[in-house]
Amino acid sequence: PSANMGRAPGLPDGGWGWAVVFGAFVSIGFAYAFPKGIAIFFKEIQDFFGTSYSEIAWVSSIMLATTYGAGPISSILVNRYGSRPVVIFGGLLCGIGMVSAAFCTSILQLYICVGFITGFGLALNLQPSVIIIGKYFLKRRPIANGLAMAGSPVMLCTLAPLNQFLFDNFGWRGSFLILGAILLNCCVAGALFRPIGAARASVKTQATQEGKDALKEEVTKDAMEMSSPTDVPMETKMEEEEGKDCCEKINQYLDFSLFKHRGFLIYLIGNVLMFLGFFAPIVFLAPYAKHIGIDEYSAAFLLSILAIVDMIARPTTGIIANSKWVRPRIQYFFSFSIAFNGACHLLCPLASGYTGLVVYSVFFGLAFGMVCAMLFETLMDLVGAARFTSAVGLVTIAECCTILLGPPIGGTLIDTFGDYKYMFIKCGAVMVLAGTFLFIMNYYNYRMLAKEEKERKAKEEDPKSVRTENEGRNNWNKETAQDGPELEPLREEQEGLKKEVNGT
Amino acid sequence: MPAAFSGKRLGLLLLLCLSLSGGSPADPTMTPQDASQSQANSLTKMQAGLNGESSEHMTTTGTVNWQSQGSPSHHLTLGHNVSTPALLGPDLTTQEFKQAIKANVSSVTFVEYEVLLPGVSGTSIEKNITLDSATGIELSCRLDSKYSYLKNLQMTWKRGNETIEHINKTENSWGIQLKILDNSKLGSYSCTLKGEEEISAIFHLQVPKIEGKEKPIVSYEGDTAVMICKSFGYTPIAWTWYRTNGSEQIAINDSLLADKYVINSISANVTHLKILKLTGEDDGVYWCEAAFELGKSKGRLKLKVLSFMVPLKPFLAIVAEVVILVTIIFLYEMYSKKKCAEDEKEFDQVEQLKSEESNGLENSARHRKI
Repeated sequence: PSANMGRAPGLPDGGWGWAVVFGAFVSIGFAYAFPKGIAIFFKEIQDFFGTSYSEIAWVSSIMLATTYGAGPISSILVNRYGSRPVVIFGGLLCGIGMVSAAFCTSILQLYICVGFITGFGLALNLQPSVIIIGKYFLKRRPIANGLAMAGSPVMLCTLAPLNQFLFDNFGWRGSFLILGAILLNCCVAGALFRPIGAARASVKTQATQEGKDALKEEVTKDAMEMSSPTDVPMETKMEEEEGKDCCEKINQYLDFSLFKHRGFLIYLIGNVLMFLGFFAPIVFLAPYAKHIGIDEYSAAFLLSILAIVDMIARPTTGIIANSKWVRPRIQYFFSFSIAFNGACHLLCPLASGYTGLVVYSVFFGLAFGMVCAMLFETLMDLVGAARFTSAVGLVTIAECCTILLGPPIGGTLIDTFGDYKYMFIKCGAVMVLAGTFLFIMNYYNYRMLAKEEKERKAKEEDPKSVRTENEGRNNWNKETAQDGPELEPLREEQEGLKKEVNGT
Repeated sequence: MPAAFSGKRLGLLLLLCLSLSGGSPADPTMTPQDASQSQANSLTKMQAGLNGESSEHMTTTGTVNWQSQGSPSHHLTLGHNVSTPALLGPDLTTQEFKQAIKANVSSVTFVEYEVLLPGVSGTSIEKNITLDSATGIELSCRLDSKYSYLKNLQMTWKRGNETIEHINKTENSWGIQLKILDNSKLGSYSCTLKGEEEISAIFHLQVPKIEGKEKPIVSYEGDTAVMICKSFGYTPIAWTWYRTNGSEQIAINDSLLADKYVINSISANVTHLKILKLTGEDDGVYWCEAAFELGKSKGRLKLKVLSFMVPLKPFLAIVAEVVILVTIIFLYEMYSKKKCAEDEKEFDQVEQLKSEESNGLENSARHRKI
């Protein structure tokens, strides 16, 4: 344990972190796969309640909207209580929602139980899982992110036949009951999310910081990420305590100052644009296949191919993104994968016959996996682990609108023109545009960051002689917390230097 | 409805004519009706609009779309001019047509179904023809011109054991005309060509099939079950529901047991049976029967009624598993924290000893400065 503690300012980059990755894998998997998985029950429920298909489809939409829309609430709760309690509570909420859905007697009750309650529970699962990876990993963070995000296709592949099996044996009511129990496994995932500090003070300094502990505890009362008493990015919190007014208090819960952050804004605009064309092709792939004459089972198989390729692509992308050539320029890699995704869609109308569609599915699965694996990694890279909590909440609520709009706009295009190719062209164009935008803006951002780093270094040169290693570490913590560690390789070098100085 | 009926068919006919002019025989693009037919080869009857060019005779173009699924490719679609003495004008409705048939007027429009005999390979061809209302049908078997060298050919048309007279022979095809007015005329008609070898083809005339559900519908005691039957493409005259009690089939009377069974039809092609307040006795097989003019057709559905204990067991098992796992994880965490704390204490002690030993006031001062 002592070796771990001295390695970096508290980030294990392994050890229990892999258990956390597994928990995040389960949690994220449920959050993304569950809304798609329950579509199997819709036909039966539609017959049972005598409603139209669009009324049933609202259940999925409400669930998805709540999962994304409740992001800020999730962020606030994580800022306040830490990841673990939020995920456990989310798991309980999902379970309760589905169990009560099993006893529903009207479609409206289904909207509430399955849509709102379960959707909210899934939101409380999704955000904290992504956040806690940033707290446990730094050097290997892209791999961890890729592995955790791989949960989505794996869960989807598992849930789809499982749901079918449950439905054949227990009908939709019994299935909802059992699915409620299965969702309680999110609580298990949450139990794995052991709290940890973003910047843990090392063992050596603990004895000497006893006097400070008392003060720390007072400050930790209000808005803290961690629950263990000795591991808090003290300096930032103390500064906020000094000049506290209404805005700063809100900022403790949800960091709205992120909207002044250049990298965050770039990410936000690029992603909001991207999501307009992200999900529609998946939704319409099977109907498109049937439209050009392929039978139902082969069309469903296309989606399976997509999921399998996706499953492999995500951890692989994580490994690639972690390599020393890509990590410093990870934003470019992200923009490239979005543009690649768009290019796939643009080429899809040229695919003829089943083989063409299989090829398209393979490439689409690859591109989809690449984008998803780096979705949160790039945001963490831009804003840093400490502010990521609020960032992810704000991003998901902004994405919520476009995610919901994407498939209906695609559907309208298909209905108006009677041809699927315009939908593919629209999705492809939007994504290529988003990718290009991100590429250009990130190039600009990297240059500005390099400039700022030079200026900062120039300032730091002066008071060097007085500094002790602790001060150095504390300053470095401040940088981590405030401006965001965009320049990863430089930081890693600093880490290396500090290790030598530490002598552990 | 009849007007729209023939209008739709006229549209389909135009499509077919276009495709026939340039297209290949077994055209895989199907009309929605075809798509919903059964998997065996089946034909959709397409009756053209009638174009009465003169009051003298009527040209009807009966065309046929074949669903080409795995059958030998020896079939043709043809438009055939069958002129009949006409008394009926071009605005004939289905009703008038039926009446014409019933009144035994000799002017009837015939829909033609033709099959190309496969030659001496010996495999027999079977075609399914679905009929829901009274029609005139002409069935013909044609021999490919490459086999015209065969001599001494004798064609017989049979239905079961009964031979049919009045075969219309043209150059190398033999046909019979049938007026299908009721259920007794349906069945299997076969044409057998006897020469040196026997070549035959069979036409199965049937009422439309009703699809039930293969998988059982699962419901719970005290809950409601909804069972739905649909007829694809053909509109039945009436629907009846039956319950299997042992070996008997009992009709369900919803006016008699109004708080138990509710039957309603949203549209003429669809019927719903709602069973309220389910008990274990309601478990079993149900039949929905559609009555067409030419006969009846049944669909089978199975209902399974479970008690709540059935899904409750897996539910409790999974909840127990979750609780156990969470407890294990928390216990492990407490254990490893204790261990960590003990290690830290040891480490601290070692460190303090070290710093005292090193004699470095500066060192300790630096540590305390922070």
